[in-house]
Amino acid sequence: MIRLSLRWRVTLAFGLTCLLVTGVLGAVTVRLASQYMLDQRLESVRSQAAVNVQLLRAVQGNGSENVDELLDGFAADPGSSVLVGAPGAWALGGRTVDPAELPDDVVTDALDGATVDRRVTVGGVPALLVAAPVTSGRTVFLQLFPLSEYTRITRFLTLVLSCGVLAAGLVGAAAGRWASRRALRPLTRLTVAAGRVAAGDLHARLPEQTDPDLAELGRTFNATAAALEQRVARDSRFAADVSHELRSPLTTMANAVALLRRRRDRLPGTAAQAVDLLDAEVQRFQQVVLDLLEISTADQTLDATSFEDVDLAVLVGTVTAAAGLPPPEVSGPTLVRGDRRRLQRVVGNLLDNAALHGGGVRGVEVRGDAGRVRLTVADGGSGVPDAAKEQNFERFSRGGGAGQRDGGTGLGLALVAQHVGAHGGRVWVEDRPGGGACFVVELPATR
Amino acid sequence: MRTRLLLVEDDSGIRRSLGLALDDLGFDVLEAASGEDALDRLTGTTVDVVLLDLMLPGIDGLEVCAVLRSRGDLPIIVVSARTDTADVIAGLEAGADDFVTKPLVADELAARIRALLRRRRPGTERTETGPRRIGDLEIDLDNGVVRRSGDIVHVTRTEFRLLAELLAGQGRPVTREELLQRVWGYDYFGDTRLLDVHMRRLRRKVEADPDAPQLLVTVRGVGYRAAVP
Repeated sequence: MIRLSLRWRVTLAFGLTCLLVTGVLGAVTVRLASQYMLDQRLESVRSQAAVNVQLLRAVQGNGSENVDELLDGFAADPGSSVLVGAPGAWALGGRTVDPAELPDDVVTDALDGATVDRRVTVGGVPALLVAAPVTSGRTVFLQLFPLSEYTRITRFLTLVLSCGVLAAGLVGAAAGRWASRRALRPLTRLTVAAGRVAAGDLHARLPEQTDPDLAELGRTFNATAAALEQRVARDSRFAADVSHELRSPLTTMANAVALLRRRRDRLPGTAAQAVDLLDAEVQRFQQVVLDLLEISTADQTLDATSFEDVDLAVLVGTVTAAAGLPPPEVSGPTLVRGDRRRLQRVVGNLLDNAALHGGGVRGVEVRGDAGRVRLTVADGGSGVPDAAKEQNFERFSRGGGAGQRDGGTGLGLALVAQHVGAHGGRVWVEDRPGGGACFVVELPATR
Repeated sequence: MRTRLLLVEDDSGIRRSLGLALDDLGFDVLEAASGEDALDRLTGTTVDVVLLDLMLPGIDGLEVCAVLRSRGDLPIIVVSARTDTADVIAGLEAGADDFVTKPLVADELAARIRALLRRRRPGTERTETGPRRIGDLEIDLDNGVVRRSGDIVHVTRTEFRLLAELLAGQGRPVTREELLQRVWGYDYFGDTRLLDVHMRRLRRKVEADPDAPQLLVTVRGVGYRAAVP
């Protein structure tokens, strides 16, 4: 069964209620009005018939033979018919009717001396029949008054009211639609805000609700979002704080080790080896702390105000030159909008990754096309297994498998992904035809 | 003669290890643990370069930097534990010539110091000499003097070097990377905020309207260009 949405149900309920109320009202109106009109008509018909009978008696009492003329005069009403006589011997005036169609009991009652009226249909025309005795037991007076006027008015009234009822139903439905939309508007805003939170925008909040029914919901939603935002910020700040606190001791250590390293020649063999070990680890430690600091502060501090127009081809060229690599292949417009330092970091990390894990850089390309600028770094390694293609960009993921310590910090590609994401771009890894992996960064181009 | 440094740093571990390492690299290192201490020491002695931590107890690094800059053209390298844009820019705006972030090693610092000192001696590296003109500016490359409509404009050595490098471009754009490499001696990625703040400071001194520069023009996406006639 189809479950109608709340909005449709409210609309339908409004429409049906309006239809019902106006329908009943309309039906009662038609009924009362037609009854009233019928009663009025009956009243006038009765009195007219009584006058006619009086007249007839008077004429017959005079012995006048001019009855036919009189009968036509009685039936001056258009469509009206007058019959005088007894069954089998009728004198007719006005519109011609077949006496056989008249109900027998009315005639019999009139012959018995009663005055009767009734609604009948004669020759397909609805009419009021009035019967009255003229001379007891021998002659009766019958007059048919057509009700066509009454029927027409009733039909017209019914039509008008039906249209009104229908219109009221539609107006009701429209009002329901409007009311439901209005009532649901705060919910729509809630949906939008919840959607933004789900998409990662933790700043999204609902505006203050004035409606007491909704205020609680709004407050709860905002409190939840605020708690979530705080939690995320706290996690991020924690990593930043830890790294920050490590800077000072690291500086001391790095400089002390540097001093020892320069005097390496004067140290006994084992001590020299220990210094080498210490030196390498301090350097790696330092890089990890720097990367960690950058990755944990990136989302807090990166804002579009530090963005500028950067020619990616020039920037990549500078980085490759500094790394002692041939310049990149360039085609198309390569201007992007971004943070120069972070973009340099992206390129540098991709080159480092290729050197460290991919058996060296095999080619660098910068291509601008269709509103996008694409940077490709190809390496000559064994490629990246499909399962690791996504995982590669996670923090400390070490694509080569657990336990492989190779001098990288485990944060390089995560930083790439984070910076590229902050620039509204994408990064992924492809298989290079002929072996090796291809890291692709795609950024929106500046017009 | 050994280059004399003043190392202003409140963390004794860093101060001592960095002092030892710099001493080992051939520098003469004076140490100061606070801003007040640093200003005291500078009244009695002359030093070639000041290494200034920004977060100091008492008078903070930014203030020390501003005081030193108001006294003259003493080269200052800011040492910051924070890489926040606002912090770095504040240090540079206060007049620092360069900045490094912790954790830092003596080798890197020594390279920065040497690059900075090279800028101190005009004409020692450039082959170009003699007076040059752009707009109403007159630049004497030999003596490191800039005149604007005949009046001397006080520029720091770093600003002068920046101006000279832009002039050497002969009206062609000079990329940010080239400027960072030639002026500050970065052979790898320099921080472009360094360049931007210096450029802003330089424009404030030489341009009629620094917000609509006519002499030192930005080349979108690339770098800067001197409007050489």
